Amino acid sequence: MNQTPDSTGPVPLLQVEAVSCRFGGLLALDQVSLELEEGEIFGLIGPNGAGKTTLFNVISGLTPPSGGRCLWRGAPTAGLGASGLNRLGIARTFQNLRLFESLSVRENVLVGLHHAARAPLLGSLLGSGAFRRQQGQLQERAMELLTLLELEALAEQRAGDLPYGDRRRLEIARALATAPRLLLLDEPAAGMNPAEKDDLRRLIGTIRQHFTLTVLIIEHHVPLMMQLCDRLAVLNFGRRIALGSPAAVRTDPRVIEAYLGSSGGSSGGSSGGAGGDGR
Amino acid sequence: MDAALLEQMLLGALLALSVYLPLRCGQLSLATPGFYAVGGYVAALLSTGVPAFAGSGATSPLPALLAEMVLGGALAGLIALAIGGPVLRLRGIYLAIATIALVEILRVLNLNLPFTGGAMGIFGIPQPFAHAEGYVLFTLALLALACWLCQRLEALRLGRAMAAIRDDELAAACVGIDTPRTKLIAFVASAVLAGVTGALAAHFFNSWNARAGSFDASITTLAFVVFGGSRLWPGPVLGGLVLTALPELLRPVGDLRLILFGAVILLGPLFFPQGLVTAERLHWLAARLGRGRHRGRQAPQAP
Ligand SMILES: Nc1ncnc2c1ncn2[C@@H]1O[C@H](COP(=O)(O)OP(=O)(O)OP(=O)(O)O)[C@@H](O)[C@H]1O
Ligand SMILES: [Mg+2]
Repeated sequence: MNQTPDSTGPVPLLQVEAVSCRFGGLLALDQVSLELEEGEIFGLIGPNGAGKTTLFNVISGLTPPSGGRCLWRGAPTAGLGASGLNRLGIARTFQNLRLFESLSVRENVLVGLHHAARAPLLGSLLGSGAFRRQQGQLQERAMELLTLLELEALAEQRAGDLPYGDRRRLEIARALATAPRLLLLDEPAAGMNPAEKDDLRRLIGTIRQHFTLTVLIIEHHVPLMMQLCDRLAVLNFGRRIALGSPAAVRTDPRVIEAYLGSSGGSSGGSSGGAGGDGR
Repeated sequence: MDAALLEQMLLGALLALSVYLPLRCGQLSLATPGFYAVGGYVAALLSTGVPAFAGSGATSPLPALLAEMVLGGALAGLIALAIGGPVLRLRGIYLAIATIALVEILRVLNLNLPFTGGAMGIFGIPQPFAHAEGYVLFTLALLALACWLCQRLEALRLGRAMAAIRDDELAAACVGIDTPRTKLIAFVASAVLAGVTGALAAHFFNSWNARAGSFDASITTLAFVVFGGSRLWPGPVLGGLVLTALPELLRPVGDLRLILFGAVILLGPLFFPQGLVTAERLHWLAARLGRGRHRGRQAPQAP
């Protein structure tokens, strides 16, 4: 338990306090705690079924925890729900990709700009000058994000028709459109080829600087995580078995045991599948 | 085609749009006929019972009709607002069943309230228009307004949020959309449109009774949307127009009409899973029309 000793520091962006999550007889999360500092890239690794996606679901408000709580800048988040938490500043992508498939790539990002699109009803209906200016700005913003994610050429395509790697990036663009402070990425590299993975790593770095973001990322590709993350936590059977710098985690005997031992998980180092029922 | 049938078709198109609005955010509500009945009773009661609305008794002033439409729509909207919170937590078929139950509750209420005229309903509702043609023009204007609103919705934040919920409600919540509120807005808008339509229809039909809001009517309005398509507003409009006209033309076959609607609901999705009107077919049509204008005859290309 190498918790960072920062009792005098500022309030962490997100605190996960002893969160448990039970599905029937299965304890998917068992008293998991972690703290995210503003601006860091924090990795979450662990074998299949370890509870990583479940933790994302709790943090993003999709699954209420059966025990414990989350704090956003020191304030409990219970009862806010997914949309409330997004408005606080938490955005996420989904392991199993949940785009608005019948909408175009551009429209997917525009939906993400929902928070910025507030306008008086009458002006919107009649297409007032102010409304048109705002629409112009939204479209511009959407195209900026698509350009950043290298999707601008696909703007008018139906999201459901995109190949896998493009979908993953579109999910990131949509999440960024909501102007988050914390971005949760659930296996963003799954299904990507090595070149795409490399691009993604660079991209995440760019994004963090561009948007002064904190990033919490789940990824099976351990070498990528070692390069990318400031800190890592390792989950196994719902428990946090390690936490610390990549170097420290890599050599932690419990981590080696979890990945190489007879725990049933067998995905260490491999690119991992998009299977499981993570949402 | 006579004006009375045309008027019924236009009313059908308005009701189809009322079913379409919740469907636009993925909510299958069959409550439209219930709200339609409520709006009709508001108009029937006001224009037969309240002197200010009644006019001469045989003809009623146009402002009174407009006021009744506002009040009918408002009452329907208020009912939707009151029940929408809990009802819209239901999903899919459960929501559909709950809204059928709502229609039944309203129907039984309308049958048994002391002032709604029992099974016979309310007679002698005064006419704001001397001829069916007047109704047709007025209803056409109302339908045009409703279509324009539906078209504008595409460009609005609300319309995008609705489409997002239809595609993936959970993901919509995760990008900050207040999904319960958005669904409630769609449900209330649907009720208001049905209520307004009912107020107009009560005058046109001259009498109003609880049969306006029946289970049969729920199925009929659903058939409009299944037939026409629920993705784009021209779909329900087409469905409402065509499926209202068809059984009137088939009137000689009597109760077979219901079987026909059943067949449409059953077979429609088999042959046209998206309904008749889809974006591709609209584009194809627009291209055909455009080409027709430019070069008289050219071999039609595959869409
Ligand atoms: N909604 C649910 N209902 C029941 N069981 C669930 C639910 N969500 C997750 N689980 C179970 O909880 C456990 C943890 O699942 P989770 O998806 O969080 O794992 P993960 O670490 O994301 O795995 P992977 O690497 O395969 O994505 C699994 O055994 C899974 O089957
Ligand atoms: Mg997962």
